[in-house]
Amino acid sequence: MHVSILRIPSFGRVSLAWVWVQMKRRDFIALAGGAMWACAARAQRPTRVYRIFWVSTESQPDPFLEGFREGLRERGYTEGKDFVFDLHYATGDPGALQQVLSELKRGNVDLVVSSGPATRAMTAVTEVPVLFALSGDPVDLGVVKSLGQPGGNFTGSTFLSLELAGKRVELLKDVFPELRTLAVLSNTDHPGEQSEWRTTKQATQALGVDPIYIPYFDAGELDKALETASKVHADAILVFPDAVTMVHRTKLAEFAISQRLPSMFGWSEYCDAGGLLSYGANQRATYFSLATYADRILRGEKPADLPVERPTKIELTVNLKTAKVLGVERAISSLLFRANKVIE
Amino acid sequence: MRSPGLEPNARHPDRITSPAIRPRRSLFLKYFFTLFVAVVAPLILGSVGEAWFGYRDQRLNLNELLQAEARSAADRIQTFIDGIRDQIGWVVQFAWIEGEDEPHKIDAERLLQQVPAVVSITLVDQTGTERVFVSRLGLNRIGRGANMAQDQAVLGARANQVWYGPVLYRRNSEPYMVIAVAGSRAADGIAIADINLKLIWDVIAAIKIGNTGHAFVVDDSGRLIAHPDISQVLRGEPGSVAFNRLKSMLAAANGSAVITTGNAGKPMVAASVRAANVGWTVIAQQPVSEAFASIRAALWRALALILIGALLAALLAYWLAHRMSGPIRQLEEGAQRIGAGKFDHRITISSGDELEQLAIRFNEMAEELTISKEKSERINRLKRFLAPQVAELVEQSDERMLEGQRREVAAIFGDLRDFTAFSARAAPDVIMALLSEYYEAIGAVVTRHEATLTGFGGDGVMVLVNAPVVRTNPALSAIRVAIDMQAAVQSLVVGWRAKGHAIGFGIGIAMGPAIVGTVGYEGRIDYTAIGNVINLASRLCGSASDGEILVDEVVAEGVKDNIPIEPLGVRLLKGYDRPQQIFAVAGGDLRQSHSQEGEACPPVAAVADDKQGS
Repeated sequence: MHVSILRIPSFGRVSLAWVWVQMKRRDFIALAGGAMWACAARAQRPTRVYRIFWVSTESQPDPFLEGFREGLRERGYTEGKDFVFDLHYATGDPGALQQVLSELKRGNVDLVVSSGPATRAMTAVTEVPVLFALSGDPVDLGVVKSLGQPGGNFTGSTFLSLELAGKRVELLKDVFPELRTLAVLSNTDHPGEQSEWRTTKQATQALGVDPIYIPYFDAGELDKALETASKVHADAILVFPDAVTMVHRTKLAEFAISQRLPSMFGWSEYCDAGGLLSYGANQRATYFSLATYADRILRGEKPADLPVERPTKIELTVNLKTAKVLGVERAISSLLFRANKVIE
Repeated sequence: MRSPGLEPNARHPDRITSPAIRPRRSLFLKYFFTLFVAVVAPLILGSVGEAWFGYRDQRLNLNELLQAEARSAADRIQTFIDGIRDQIGWVVQFAWIEGEDEPHKIDAERLLQQVPAVVSITLVDQTGTERVFVSRLGLNRIGRGANMAQDQAVLGARANQVWYGPVLYRRNSEPYMVIAVAGSRAADGIAIADINLKLIWDVIAAIKIGNTGHAFVVDDSGRLIAHPDISQVLRGEPGSVAFNRLKSMLAAANGSAVITTGNAGKPMVAASVRAANVGWTVIAQQPVSEAFASIRAALWRALALILIGALLAALLAYWLAHRMSGPIRQLEEGAQRIGAGKFDHRITISSGDELEQLAIRFNEMAEELTISKEKSERINRLKRFLAPQVAELVEQSDERMLEGQRREVAAIFGDLRDFTAFSARAAPDVIMALLSEYYEAIGAVVTRHEATLTGFGGDGVMVLVNAPVVRTNPALSAIRVAIDMQAAVQSLVVGWRAKGHAIGFGIGIAMGPAIVGTVGYEGRIDYTAIGNVINLASRLCGSASDGEILVDEVVAEGVKDNIPIEPLGVRLLKGYDRPQQIFAVAGGDLRQSHSQEGEACPPVAAVADDKQGS
């Protein structure tokens, strides 16, 4: 935004001429009948088909991709006509995305959208704008200078996972005051995993809960981790949100029910799959709004000038069906007035 | 244009009619231009005036409109903040009782559920001690905590019931603000809420100024708080600079609208209003193109009207100028035709105005000219047998002079002797050359004496004196004409004789009453005299031998005091029953070659004498 010092004088100086000058071609067209104006409006639509790289460590079907797609549709883009997706999935394995980089170097890509840990693999990209959706801190990751002024070719959203880690323990404690031991399932391959565990540990200590840290490395170790969890006699289970657990959310939810463990997750998608509770930003909404940035970047705005967004609304989701199965309805009911989403 | 019949001024070679020179600045163009300007100038003045005043009104309206929009936006922002404040008020309605923190915590949690903008809330009791802290992000705290008695928010809320903290960008991006509300009684304590101002976006994005205008909010220290494009806000302090500058400009403008350049380089017009309770400035902005759309439409309309008006004016001016200059050109053409001698030309103009009047007068003039031309033609015919002086006299005076009347006239007849024999012998060109010399000599004498030559007939000539011009002594005048004629012809005779042509010249004069007047038909009218005197003169001429001037008794009687006359006795003349008394002018024989050379003088003296007498 640039403010000029040009002022409309009250009446004295001739501004009429100035107004006249403002009468641009558009007015003339409007006068002529507006037919050409319609053409001009159409001309503002994308003139070519944009190629968007979707880079993810999730698996398909991908709810986040759907959110992003929906957002683009909302902004008037039609898939196939205005843009095409190049989907690159390396389920639970960010390392496998290295080959995407070489493909990017070949050019011809207008935008990269990286979801979750995939962003870590994209840090080397400098020529193509990259939109990310991170649970961690993009400043820590080094892709942006600051949230307000990213200053590079990266921008996007961060989910405040770290800040919410303690809150999740607290919510469990609020519902189950007798909570003593808490199994914490964590993927050590997830960026910022250590900080998240540290924050969680601090919260458990403050709340008088014993955390049982069950780390695993990638999807391969998940089954082993679950086996461990089943043996620790925890009162509840906390699962860190990440690509691997997201992919295996149904398995995890079923595991918790089978173990009669109240479960706490990061995103409401886990509750949709049968998790008891989740507290975190609405991922789908975040990807939906990410499409707005995609639109702005495709229209020529620089990612450097687009501040990193943080979710405004944090959702508490409660799955009453699971609560019934676990027989914790009474305990859960004290939380219902705070819930943003209740699955019945 | 002119008819070919009129072309070269065959009949009036001396008359100069200018060829059709087109004037440098035609009447048509002058009229056209004047009429056109007369219509278009007021139209343009009117339209421009209206546009200007329209613009002025629009400018005033725009100021008020934008102010109103900004005020409405400010009201909505204020309502939003007041709503949050009122909601916070709910959690400070119960007094703090020792050990009863839990209900307060639930109140706080319900507030968080109710008001999304509140990120966290701290409840402080009457002693200023923190009792409950509830947050969306951090861990909740319950029970006695830090002493916040000296906290700015606590102090502010205590003093003013409500306290609004400064706007700060958290992590240099999201704007946050603290609102502290004190309960109505000191025992109710104070609630300190941390507000995420990003949520004003819902309010600000819903505010539309016109179709494409928007509003935004800047606080007193120049931080951008709310903007429909949330990323403008999230840029933090550096992103606020331009907005703050605009805010200062608006403050300097003292309530009137200001033109700025918007994000896309589009000029925008902006006005501001202050939201008093929080100390924020709400700025309403609208693209200039939209703000001035109606005045622009009016300008286009005015332009279209001017164009249509100019077109109509041009048509009207063309028609009028044509109506004006057409008849004038017709008159000009008529004048040219009449100037070229075509007097029967008439102009038909039925415009019903002064020009028609002029055409009527013109036609009348042409008619007068026709009459006057006929008259001048008659005079021209007269000139053929009158000396120019005589003709002029006739022209100037009454035409009746030429009408038939009885008059005392002296008739002079002269004719060449032995001409018939000569003409039988000589070649035609020689005859014609000789006659030509002879007529010239006679003509010169007649003209000099202002006598009337009625005509030549072969070698004969008839001259009248005292008709139509009256002379004091016709007889004397006639004698002098005759003497000069004789002298002139005799000088020619010398030459003729030298060439071997035996030709002489004799004259007879008689005087008496005769009928004089014009006779003839259209195209050929002669002035002549009829009477005995004519016959007598002719007979006398017939009897006169070469060099002789014979006169009758009346003439002799009339001139005997001035000219020596010798009686020749009586002779019987052909056609007369009785013999006539005949006289001869003494020394009248002016033959130079063969006799009386020394007597050539008297006629000359007589001529001089005659000049004195007439």
